[in-house]
Amino acid sequence: MKLFLSSILFLFVLGCSKNESNEVVVYTTVDQVFSQPILKDFEKQSGIKVKAIYDTEETKSTGVLNRLIAENNNPQCDVFWSGDPVRAEILKNKAITDSYNPPIASDIKDEFKDKDFNWIGFSARARVLIYNKKLIKKEELPKSIFNFSNEKYRGKFAIANPLFGTTSFHVASWFSVLGDKKAKELLKGFKKNNIIIASSNGDIKKRVLNGDIWFGLTDTDDAFTAMNESNDVDILFLDQDGIGSLIIPNTLSLIKKSPNSKNAKKLFDYLLSSETEKKLALSCAQMPLHSGIKVKATIPSLDAVVPMKIDYGRSAKKLEEIQHFLKAWVEDK
Amino acid sequence: MIVFDSLSNPSNYGEVFKQRTFSLLLKSLFISFVAASFSTIMGGFFAFFLTKTTIIFKNFLKPIFLIPLFLSPYILTLSWVDFFSKFESGKSFIYSFWGVIFIFTLIFTPLSMLIISSGLVNVNSKLEEAGLMMTTYKKVIFNIIIPLIKPSIISSFILVFILSLSEFSVPAFLHIDVLTTEIFTQFSAFYNYDLAIANSMILVFISISLLMLERFYLSSASFITMGSKSQNIKTIELNNLKYFIFSLYILYIFISIVIPVSILTMHSCLDTFYKAFTLLKPTIYDSLLYSGIGAFVLLVFGAIFAYMSEREKFPAIDSVLLITFTIPSSVLGIALIKFFNTPALNFIYSSFWIIIIAYLGKFIFISQKLIQSSIKQLPISLEESATLVGANFFTKMIKIVLPLVSHGLFSAFLISFIFTLGELGATILIYPAGTSLLPIKIYTIMANAPQSLVSSMALIILLITMCLLGLLFLGNRMLKWR
Repeated sequence: MKLFLSSILFLFVLGCSKNESNEVVVYTTVDQVFSQPILKDFEKQSGIKVKAIYDTEETKSTGVLNRLIAENNNPQCDVFWSGDPVRAEILKNKAITDSYNPPIASDIKDEFKDKDFNWIGFSARARVLIYNKKLIKKEELPKSIFNFSNEKYRGKFAIANPLFGTTSFHVASWFSVLGDKKAKELLKGFKKNNIIIASSNGDIKKRVLNGDIWFGLTDTDDAFTAMNESNDVDILFLDQDGIGSLIIPNTLSLIKKSPNSKNAKKLFDYLLSSETEKKLALSCAQMPLHSGIKVKATIPSLDAVVPMKIDYGRSAKKLEEIQHFLKAWVEDK
Repeated sequence: MIVFDSLSNPSNYGEVFKQRTFSLLLKSLFISFVAASFSTIMGGFFAFFLTKTTIIFKNFLKPIFLIPLFLSPYILTLSWVDFFSKFESGKSFIYSFWGVIFIFTLIFTPLSMLIISSGLVNVNSKLEEAGLMMTTYKKVIFNIIIPLIKPSIISSFILVFILSLSEFSVPAFLHIDVLTTEIFTQFSAFYNYDLAIANSMILVFISISLLMLERFYLSSASFITMGSKSQNIKTIELNNLKYFIFSLYILYIFISIVIPVSILTMHSCLDTFYKAFTLLKPTIYDSLLYSGIGAFVLLVFGAIFAYMSEREKFPAIDSVLLITFTIPSSVLGIALIKFFNTPALNFIYSSFWIIIIAYLGKFIFISQKLIQSSIKQLPISLEESATLVGANFFTKMIKIVLPLVSHGLFSAFLISFIFTLGELGATILIYPAGTSLLPIKIYTIMANAPQSLVSSMALIILLITMCLLGLLFLGNRMLKWR
């Protein structure tokens, strides 16, 4: 009995963490395969231990966000690295983030920053059409989202559930740019044309790779992963003669009252650097937002894509307004 | 605390009692009922032949049967979707509620088998022999054995029913709208915790009602079957039937294990196997350690609560444990954050003990139920006799109760270990930064990894779990020989 109790006490003491002063805690919704190498490099260069929390396919980028909201009264996280501005805006609206505008961000355009500097954008993805070359030729593809309602595509295309992830932001951007009436008509047209609603961007990638669908909407990093897996897949930037393609920057936010604020700023500056943008361009084809960064020709550049002109903060608010409509749209079979 | 906040907001009731909620609830209940029925019937069938007959390769079949429990429901679903997509009508089957029932049945039949086996093992062979003197073995099965193992059968049905009712990933992936997908949407798309919790209370209410029905049904009956001496399990010779029955096992193993594992193997390759192992290596030790500690803690508390519920007659214990079992993992996770993430309790919140507490909250009901159905079969006269000769409580427990319910304890430890090793829903919300566990690793990597890597990772986890299971069964056998 004494041995048993001693063992339990030992395990308890072993498990209770000691406060380490030279560390930084980062929560990220960016896929671990891309974010972890960057964080490991920072750890090597700075000597600061990085403790990370990643999000999962199953929780669709909301696990980390819900955790941040629930931990608000006693923050554990120092830096929030989001794959899109929507989550950063939600945290700003809940007064969880702090303002920080480091000098390193000076050459990033203002449209990729929060006006109060509660988040700063870097390394952007774009929303693209991914298609299976064996099932549909490039010249037969829709050039605009407005073409999706064409009868010839009936039941052959998909988007991820618009209630979650970057798809939710993409749909919100249509409402911002087109207005509520036109955007609702657009979505209703998709439903009439038997659009398939996949569970996630990863599911879209899988379905296109397997030949279950001709094309779908996804992010550039998912699309490039698919292109690395198979020569049967290619991408197209939609609406280059019209409203443009949605550009989704990664964002960084400092968390208020975080335990390691000094190290948090060091990590923040590192992630915002050109060096990080070069690495993300190489690993997942993300487009640098700093000027003058040279990347491979195979990686899309902001200069070569007509971007959608939106206010990220307003689009994030628009998303909250249209949630109920989107839920009803998804449920309508 | 967060449940009370939700329930005290009247606007939530209006949202909960809507037609859509009722139709989702009916669909969820139907799926859970059918899955629980199929699992219990099939699990009972397989448990009977494994426990009570001289079927060939018995010691090999039992651990192999448990394999579907080691594969996460999400990955199992991925494999089956790949399989059925190859057939014309396959897609319409798998992307339907029958597809959900099919996968639930495959996942939970091993659980039913394990629970009913532990009941069958405790049936006093003298009762069967007495029956055989008067009638055929078929009548002994239906008139003696089955009535005596009713607690195990009902426990199996209720556990599988509740597990199916509260499972999210399978119906979500197959695009079948059920109550748990609605709860997830409220939680993760609308950040409406109050409504998510209010909807979860429906699940809790149904589960508690089932539990009360079980208590009412079983309260007046006696299931005491264990004798005062250690007993042999009565087994019967199958003679000509043995190959037919064995072929049924092989058919089931082929469908439930060989097909999904083959799909995973087809998608993986040697290169990705090495890469997958490299990715998983840092997580293996922590995962096994935490699951081992978690299973042990669940065993201890499960035994305590089972004894209190069964002997000290505290029926409220079942209901309290059921609440944490039934509520969605995300709600449990948030509740743990709200309670433990304070300066005073930060030493627990930022350590691995918060993970153990999450395991305890999520699975204590299962552990308690498994052990309770074994205690039900134990005559109280054994403990009373021990008290009369001066044995204290601890002596009775260690010398009498625990040895006699050892099969239930082993099943509880095994199931707890398997479930904690694969737990994701609550763990993802509370695991300390810098910790890495197997299910979290596989799900975070899955977001943007090729299918081959994900399949390789799933196969490695399966192999690790099978090796451990083999060791556990071997250890159990060695203890029995001693």
